[in-house]
Amino acid sequence: MSDAHGQHPYRVYWITWALLLVITVAMLAAESFHLPRIFLVVFLVAFMMVKAVMIGGNFMHLRFEKSNLGIMVLCGIMVTSLILFAFIAPEAKSVLEKTVR
Amino acid sequence: MTDAHAAVMESHWGGGAQPFGASWQKTMMWIFIVTDALLFSGLLCGYGYLRMASPVPWPETARVFSIPFIALMTFILISSSATMGTAVTAARLGDRKKAFLNLCLTIFGGLCFLGCQAYEWSHMIHEGARLTTNPWGAPQFGASFFVLTGFHGTHVFSGLVILSITAIRSALGKTPAQGVEMAGLYWHFVDLVWVFIFTLFYLLPS
Repeated sequence: MSDAHGQHPYRVYWITWALLLVITVAMLAAESFHLPRIFLVVFLVAFMMVKAVMIGGNFMHLRFEKSNLGIMVLCGIMVTSLILFAFIAPEAKSVLEKTVR
Repeated sequence: MTDAHAAVMESHWGGGAQPFGASWQKTMMWIFIVTDALLFSGLLCGYGYLRMASPVPWPETARVFSIPFIALMTFILISSSATMGTAVTAARLGDRKKAFLNLCLTIFGGLCFLGCQAYEWSHMIHEGARLTTNPWGAPQFGASFFVLTGFHGTHVFSGLVILSITAIRSALGKTPAQGVEMAGLYWHFVDLVWVFIFTLFYLLPS
């Protein structure tokens, strides 16, 4: 177990808070560099996931729960969303091609 | 009972009275959070569809919104999540005064966030953004903006109602630590959804 149950019970929240802010500032700063779009998208989505894991793990205590709770939550949300998006994205592309033509 | 059966029962998937090692209240809260997350997942995928299928260019968000203002809203929400976490731990340690103080700070953060959102909405409406039209580009932009931030704002509002009730009841000693923890789970979830909306709606380049 980590800080959440140790001598400094509140520290984990404020470390997470500081890291979340640093990541948010990094994401905003990345916007101002004129990176190729694909790099920027990958960077933003990757750090979005890092932030989500930090909020889920530290703020919502999934790190300290029995691991199958975290697996249920993560799989339930991620797999469904990815399947949904995987079917939607090609459809959107084909609709766009038909509209433009 | 066979050895294999005993081995399964001892594993993480063994089930029994508490299959997730959490009380039924917390398990149900998590199931609710998963379903609510799927609501937002559907909305975000719908927004992705509209944006990808739009023949008219999507508006550049940096020109439509004041990104520093959106960053301030993010800062407020992340800070309120940190005070919420502090309140949950304080409640668990039996420090009722600290829990109440941090719950009040969380409520204050949530109110500031809602105030910012109300300001942003009225600004957008004043500029001419509607559900079906907007002055900047693809007409679907308006619907995406109002539906995504509207659903999120409604969640913030209901979170504030839950937090207010929890703060009063926990100050009176009527809510156990677990009640504060579950209000906290909901509040962190609202923060989590904002992370996705902030990145996918406000930051993703055109």
